[in-house]
Amino acid sequence: MVTTSLAADPYNMIITGVGGQGNVLASRIVGNALSDKGFHITIGETFGASQRGGSVMSHLRISTTSVLSPQIPKGKAHMVVALEPTEALRVLHQYGNRNTKMIMNTRPIYSVGVICGEYQYPAMEDVKRWGDQLTSASWLIDATDEAVKMGNAILGNVILIGALAAVGDFPLDKASFQDVITRTMPANKVDINLTAFEKGMEMVQQHAA
Amino acid sequence: MSIIGKAKEGERHLLMGNDAIARGIIEAGASVAAGYPGTPSSEIIENLAKAAKERNIYVEWSVNEKVAMEVAAAASFAGLRTVAVMKQVGVNVASDFMLHLSETGTRGGMILISCEDPGALSSGNEGESRPFAKLFEVPLLEPGDFQEAKDMTRWAFELSEKVRNLVMIRSVTRLSHASGNVTLGPLPDVVPHARFKFRGDEMDPDEGPVVTFPVAYRHTLMQTKLAQAVALFEDCPFNRYEGPEQPEVLIVTSSACYLYTKEAVDLLDVQDRVGVLKMGTTWPLPPKYMEKHLAKSKIIFTVEEVLPFMEDNVKILAAGLAERIGFKRFHGRGDGTLPAVNELNPDLVAAGLARILEMEYTAADPEYARLSEESAISGAPQRDLAFCAGCPHRASFWSLHNALEIDGREGFVCGDIGCYALGSRPTGFSVSKTGHAMGSGTGVASGFGKLGRFGMTQPVVSVCGDSTFFHAAMPALVNAVHTQSEMTMVVMDNSGTAMTGFQPHPGLTADAAGEEVPALDISDIARAMGANVDVADPFDLDTTQRKLLALLSKGGVNVLILKQACALSPEKKGKKLYNVTLDPAICLGENCGCNKLCTRVFKCPGLKWDSETKTAHIDELTCSGCGVCASICPSGAITKKEAV
Amino acid sequence: MKQLYGSSELIEDVFDRDLCVGCGMCVDLCPYFKNYLGKTSQLFACDLEKGRCYAYCPKTEVDLGQLATAYWDRPYEGLPLGPYRKIAIARAGEKAPRGRFQGGGTVTALIAHALTTKRIDAAVLTGRDGAVGVPMVVTDPDDVSKASGSKFTASPTLAALNGAIRDGYANIGVVGTPCQITAVAQMRQNPLELKDFNDPVGLTVGLFCTWALDTRKLLPVVDECVGDACVLSMDVPPPPAEIMVIDTEEKQAQIPLSKIRPLVPLGCQLCPDMTSEWADVSVGQVEGMPGWNTLIVRTERGEQAVDQAIESGYLDVRDLPEENLQGLEKAGAGKKSRALEALAEKGGLNAQGAEGRLTLRMPPEAIANITAAKRG
Repeated sequence: MVTTSLAADPYNMIITGVGGQGNVLASRIVGNALSDKGFHITIGETFGASQRGGSVMSHLRISTTSVLSPQIPKGKAHMVVALEPTEALRVLHQYGNRNTKMIMNTRPIYSVGVICGEYQYPAMEDVKRWGDQLTSASWLIDATDEAVKMGNAILGNVILIGALAAVGDFPLDKASFQDVITRTMPANKVDINLTAFEKGMEMVQQHAA
Repeated sequence: MSIIGKAKEGERHLLMGNDAIARGIIEAGASVAAGYPGTPSSEIIENLAKAAKERNIYVEWSVNEKVAMEVAAAASFAGLRTVAVMKQVGVNVASDFMLHLSETGTRGGMILISCEDPGALSSGNEGESRPFAKLFEVPLLEPGDFQEAKDMTRWAFELSEKVRNLVMIRSVTRLSHASGNVTLGPLPDVVPHARFKFRGDEMDPDEGPVVTFPVAYRHTLMQTKLAQAVALFEDCPFNRYEGPEQPEVLIVTSSACYLYTKEAVDLLDVQDRVGVLKMGTTWPLPPKYMEKHLAKSKIIFTVEEVLPFMEDNVKILAAGLAERIGFKRFHGRGDGTLPAVNELNPDLVAAGLARILEMEYTAADPEYARLSEESAISGAPQRDLAFCAGCPHRASFWSLHNALEIDGREGFVCGDIGCYALGSRPTGFSVSKTGHAMGSGTGVASGFGKLGRFGMTQPVVSVCGDSTFFHAAMPALVNAVHTQSEMTMVVMDNSGTAMTGFQPHPGLTADAAGEEVPALDISDIARAMGANVDVADPFDLDTTQRKLLALLSKGGVNVLILKQACALSPEKKGKKLYNVTLDPAICLGENCGCNKLCTRVFKCPGLKWDSETKTAHIDELTCSGCGVCASICPSGAITKKEAV
Repeated sequence: MKQLYGSSELIEDVFDRDLCVGCGMCVDLCPYFKNYLGKTSQLFACDLEKGRCYAYCPKTEVDLGQLATAYWDRPYEGLPLGPYRKIAIARAGEKAPRGRFQGGGTVTALIAHALTTKRIDAAVLTGRDGAVGVPMVVTDPDDVSKASGSKFTASPTLAALNGAIRDGYANIGVVGTPCQITAVAQMRQNPLELKDFNDPVGLTVGLFCTWALDTRKLLPVVDECVGDACVLSMDVPPPPAEIMVIDTEEKQAQIPLSKIRPLVPLGCQLCPDMTSEWADVSVGQVEGMPGWNTLIVRTERGEQAVDQAIESGYLDVRDLPEENLQGLEKAGAGKKSRALEALAEKGGLNAQGAEGRLTLRMPPEAIANITAAKRG
């Protein structure tokens, strides 16, 4: 039933961000696309406080054989997809290892502590440096900026899904993505989501070139 | 769009635990579902509401959990399958009825689903409700994965009908809000017919009245029913053993902890040394089945979350069986092998198991942990929970804070349950000084308001949301009026149960399924109770503050309703009330005597201090256009224009 | 020079020690200080190291020597009434607007005249809402009499000054009590050396004051005495009456002074200034002469304002009888020596170092003069 192999089995991915960025939706789209292909998917989500500025994390586990714990063991993530830069750093510390790959949206979302001056948001050069140190490969993408150009910042999450497909650690392609969004989204949203997905793929391909 | 009510038998879907439970309810042919919203339980009723029409289910968001259980019980008494759904604290609310329900027993299959929150990921407590099953002598089931969440739910109705009593299912956040693959069962063809039969003898379980008398007889009946359940649990597909015949350690586990345990065994690579007894029927534990497995090992390690509930029951069983199964060494939450608080995960279970097996185990590469520490500490500043941009609660707490400070008598707020529980945190300007259960703010305030005779001069304010008002604050308000307490209740009416996802409540004109229903007006109710009632728009800071100040000195019981829809409400989300702009030429920045009032103090995520220009700055993407910051900027640098 | 700090020190030095008299100087300077029913509160902590709130406050360190040099061009000598050019008795002239005057309506006349002649573009006064003093900004001379009559309560009048400055008035007349006039005098010195600072005050009319009452403590006492009736005026007749008289629409009520004295804020007891020495003109009652005021003219611009008011028929002026002058000087000296004793007891006189943050500073000669005057 399973059509293509995984870079690892189980493959452990964390999608992280801040409440309201479309984190949960992203994990469900990827999960559904791979579930359609016959993989066993387990997603663990923390979204109780997501609408109030908290960190949000989805643990997505892809396996050809069995249902897994909805929490990935520490240090065992193969991929971190971050909708927000500092959330990537937070997740890497707990779940990363030297072979972890990372796709990061560069648009910061300031916490209240940063807004009121209690904490300092890190400089983007530092974020990049840490990203390089802590991953085997990383793609820093201006997903929100591109999404805003497309008319809605929320599309940043779909751009990252496109980027993820382009990295190719598991068989996620445009057709399976399209199937899922056609099934789960209003008809008038499908085209723009496809455009965003393609943009994400393109951004990773350009990155490589 | 829900597939839960439509998808056919044999289809395989990626479902959230709560989706799977909802599907199990539908597959069981339940006719009535009632609940009160609470994370992580809300999606069950929401899913059922979406399927309500096509599956002919009556679904309601009840005013509170006790009423939800009562509503559900009525259907059982009339011979229908029925379910009550709530989060762990809801069971506390419903518990008074639950005891009496267990005494009278049920007719149509009735289950209680309690979705609990180990680690309090979205709760103000780390409570749990499994002990209620023991306390009220009803059977308890705990699903261990997503497929089981569906299948066990369906089976629970059959069990309830067999033993003629309520059956309780406990889920947890990591199941309810996690997702996995589920293969669906058939959708039933049910033609329910409701009739409450009461003409029979008092002792007639099918046709007599459902009352708790005679008590001794009823209590005996409860115990008989429980014994029947135990007999069924002895041979139940939801209990199973995986592992070698004579393991060094026997792990007894249930719920999501089963998945952590399996993963922990794999992490340590000790499949041949450790056996896993996965229990689905966690109260009462079936003694013969347990005896067979407890006999396998000298070391029993119970892995569960919140209280050592199963661990204690295993110990009690083992003590009784000691002659036959020998003495055991017990590990779990009780002896510190696992942390006594907070949720578990595969690493914590692996660490505990490694200690028992005297193995080395470190969760992650220590060198990597060191390397990533700097970035995690200085690169990832703490993200405290905060009110959203445009949240009416921020405005309400701003006015409350200022009114209390200006009043200057050390007044304070008694907080309550909802997003506005953040009233005790920085974005609520830390005005809430008490915080307990639903409706408790007003009850506690009613008490404070009677302490004037002992010299207390501090004004007392309670806050509660619109949904909370109906849920539990109304009796407290009645109490305050009747006892002539001195207090002001602020109802932060944001037109929905916003914290859990905009479920309707009795103040709104649509029910769970979207049907039109009569709305009850909070101000009319409070007025009828005899309170002095006023209404304001919290975005109008001046009026709100002025009204609050007047009420603080007024005496008696006052209610101020601050009405403004949640920024994330379906009618508001993505639409700006105002286009808000900040003129950096007018903002005096660090030279303004305001000392960054808008960012440092007001703390709206839509504003940011620009450390380069040294002025404030509006983040267009985050700003939701409430325009409140325009009325706090003393320089007039922030202006708002009605959005078109 | 006065040492400058921020609001946290203001809270520590003044609010926490219960020294705030609610003059209103810090209120609405910034968004943090508000006054309600006579009590000033800080809404949120502010971490600025130096603030106008601290610099202008009349209850933080006040350097009388420095103010004397700046405003009088002479040292501070501790004279019972402060230095002056003229002292007289006065009352509103026939051209002046009428009101419910406490004495002779001199303040109303002076301010109405100053507004009419555009000497000032706005006046900051204290109106009344029952027993509560209410700050007001007046630009129409006909409105001045709305603020007539003594309030006896500490009122945050200077909040209205801050509002008037923000609204762009540049020549503001201020009528205030000695603490308020002291605050204004400090403000006019621009102690923070703000770049865009222009002295916004065109005339200060200081009131005589031996004490004011804490509004929040007074309210229940008044309530008990007159109930819900609206207070129209208050008066303390000269000794030996020992009463406060309250007029309402319905009745006249009396409260024994023994009930009133405990309502005097601690800050008033430490004040050495009975006659608003830092004002351009000071006005008070004249013992034994109802319908007249004592008028002290201190500065050149005060003198101009008074002379023109007399010329225009707004003010009648006569000589102050010698016995009244002696009585007034005795009272002024008495307030100074009482304040000095109280300050000395609290270590708040010319203190140095850490203690110096909260002190009244004056030259030793002045202390000697005050002490001698008491003995004499």
